[in-house]
Amino acid sequence: MIQLVFQFFKIAVLLFVLPGVAYASVEQLPAHQHAAMVPSVAEVSQIGLTERLGEKLPLDLIFRDENGKPIRLGELITGPTIISPVYYKCTNVCNFLQGGLAGVLPAVKRKPAEDYRVLSVSFDETETPALASKYKRIYLDAMNAPFPEDGWRFLTGDLDNIHRLTDAIGYRFVRQGEEFIHPVASVVVARDGTIVRYFYGTTFLPKDIALALLEANEGKVGASIRTVVGYCFSFDPLGKTYVFNLMRVSATVVILCTGAFLFYLILTGRKRKHPRKET
Amino acid sequence: MKSATQPVTARSFWNDTGRTGITSWIFSTDHKRIGFLYFYSVLAFFLVGMTLGGLLRIELMAPGRTIVGPQTYNALFTVHGVVMIFLFIIPAFPGAFGNLIMPIQIGARDVAFPRLNLLSWWFYILGAAIIIISLFTGNGPPDTGWTFYLPFSERTSTNVSLAVFGVFIVGFSSILTGINFVTTIHQLRAEGMTWGRLPLFVWSLYATAWVQILATPILAITLALIIAERLLGAGLFDPGRGGDPLMYQHLFWIYSHPAVYIMILPAMGAITEIIPVFSRKPIFGYKMIAFSGIAIASAGSLVWGHHMFTSGMSDTAVLVFSFLTFVVAIPSAIKVFNWVSTLYKGSISLEAPMLFALSFILLFSIGGLTGLILGAAATNVHVHDTHFVVGHFHYVMFGGTAFAFFGAMHYWLPKFYGRRYAEKPALVAWALMFVGFNITYFSMMLLGVKGMPRRYYDYLPEFAPLNLVSTVGSWILISGVIVLLANLFYGLWKGERIGNNPWGGASLEWTISSPPPTENFSEDPIVTHGPYDFSKAGMP
Repeated sequence: MIQLVFQFFKIAVLLFVLPGVAYASVEQLPAHQHAAMVPSVAEVSQIGLTERLGEKLPLDLIFRDENGKPIRLGELITGPTIISPVYYKCTNVCNFLQGGLAGVLPAVKRKPAEDYRVLSVSFDETETPALASKYKRIYLDAMNAPFPEDGWRFLTGDLDNIHRLTDAIGYRFVRQGEEFIHPVASVVVARDGTIVRYFYGTTFLPKDIALALLEANEGKVGASIRTVVGYCFSFDPLGKTYVFNLMRVSATVVILCTGAFLFYLILTGRKRKHPRKET
Repeated sequence: MKSATQPVTARSFWNDTGRTGITSWIFSTDHKRIGFLYFYSVLAFFLVGMTLGGLLRIELMAPGRTIVGPQTYNALFTVHGVVMIFLFIIPAFPGAFGNLIMPIQIGARDVAFPRLNLLSWWFYILGAAIIIISLFTGNGPPDTGWTFYLPFSERTSTNVSLAVFGVFIVGFSSILTGINFVTTIHQLRAEGMTWGRLPLFVWSLYATAWVQILATPILAITLALIIAERLLGAGLFDPGRGGDPLMYQHLFWIYSHPAVYIMILPAMGAITEIIPVFSRKPIFGYKMIAFSGIAIASAGSLVWGHHMFTSGMSDTAVLVFSFLTFVVAIPSAIKVFNWVSTLYKGSISLEAPMLFALSFILLFSIGGLTGLILGAAATNVHVHDTHFVVGHFHYVMFGGTAFAFFGAMHYWLPKFYGRRYAEKPALVAWALMFVGFNITYFSMMLLGVKGMPRRYYDYLPEFAPLNLVSTVGSWILISGVIVLLANLFYGLWKGERIGNNPWGGASLEWTISSPPPTENFSEDPIVTHGPYDFSKAGMP
């Protein structure tokens, strides 16, 4: 019990020192505004993110991989998959977002390419596979840990496929000359393309990633210990992060302990008395 | 403590101990000594709470400022609530009479874990000390009300953190008592003391103990969350940071409503002992009374939401909680009907314990039925947070539990002192209390229906007459309490000596000497009859 409370405090403190990121809501962070860009009111209303949890991505979309080879989305989404819509030439938050992923992925204790895959998808239809390949190198090198090439793919595509993907995610962005105004978010999908979770912001906690991947893997659940973890942590839609579900865990612990206690008492029954001390 | 003044003819638990002086009490593991530690502690806190309540009533005697300002008033009603609930009424029955009587009633020498029992009192006293320190340190006593509702309890500058920590510690005392009693009742019953021969007071303590074990940890967690909120700024209950303010109310009432049954169930148990003895008739519906205690404890754990009808829950939740609230009324009514049936054609003797028991039935029924007015979603909205609620819960808690507590004092304390109180002053005290009580709290219910809100130190002039009546009632009530305590304790000190069985009871505590010896029974009893078989009174 003490450990549970301690665990809770740890998470509470973590949340406290990561303000803005964990708590930023859709409405609050629709755009990263470069100094020169002042979007009009009409444009702002076009930018944002509508969560489409439980809906499916079309898996027949065609993108180009780092070598310029066309590839079906379904060929890449073979398990739990994190998709980050970005554009590679972005000078600001897209870099932070991918840097954040590069920082956290080595700490996620699942095998990339086998257990899960990450897809960066450019929503700038003018970007080329060569550019994607260049940025892939940058981020894989930045990881300071071996990471399979196939574990994180960098895609480009045409306008039609891009829009079908972003519409399916509920992700709305606006081009402003060479640049874009767009939300900062990633999405986790299951093997059949079902949207399981959204992540907001540029910083990730390993536990958040691992738990989202676990959820995405449902139906093909791994080791049982993972299932227990999935039970203890549930997604808090307001905090936009996994919070330790103190209530559920403590209620279960209290009920199990008292149940065992009652069972023991019934099992042992009335106790034989020791003979009295002579008085 | 009392041992110095205690006239003792034979060896008893008063003098038969290895230690002397204060250490023979605060380090004793004898259930009777721990029972008295609890008894005098809760009684002291009752007097503190009563004084604060009296001051509240004086402030409300007339509109506007009477004796204190608004901030002091807030602190007064908060401390009155915290002291009365956490330091008096929750530990009153399990801690004091549960410890004193229960092991004897089941034929045991002591509880299952005597040292844990002492530890539970130490936790209680430590928590109480912290609560008291919180009143005089920091930025002044807490002003949140005893419910510590967020977001105010997070933002107020008063000494909430420390007070909450004290209540947190007191909670552990309650859990330990629960575990101890459950184990004792399962394992230490005497030979022949089957579940069907357990006195109903023991049954009620058994149901209560499970509530203590299951519900109190939730209070501890909730209070820890308030402290996290205040000290770490966790944002758990702050919607601006992804939290949920309603969650606090849910958590708080998940404990605090079942806590109402921690308060009332053993009180019902005590009067279930008194009524058959003073009707000279076996209890009517033994099994149903035992069962209804368990039913109240179970169903009562599922009704907390009825405190939150106006807090913004979904209509479905309101409907379900309202329905479950009505369900609790059924086992409560079973008890009332069984008590009344026990009285029917009995040879009723109207002595002090019986008068308190009878007034319990009446006052608890008024409190219970007004509870249904509050439990019905539609009427609740009208009287929510008015003085009607204050009147209602005082009928249940004071008219119920505290009246039963005073009855139990008259019924059982002579056993432990070997002397009794004088009857006539006890009747006068009872009459003063009964009249004063109804004047005080019935006026409050009327005020509530008229729309006077609770927790306000000022009110509209139209509420003035009834407030004056209520305040005068509180003076009568307090004078009754003073007469009662003076008469009872003078009697226990110098009164008439009694034998083993002054009331003609049939349960085991009346088979041993008054005062009881240290290990209760000279030899372990073999029980041959039920606790209400008066043809065999005085035999094990």
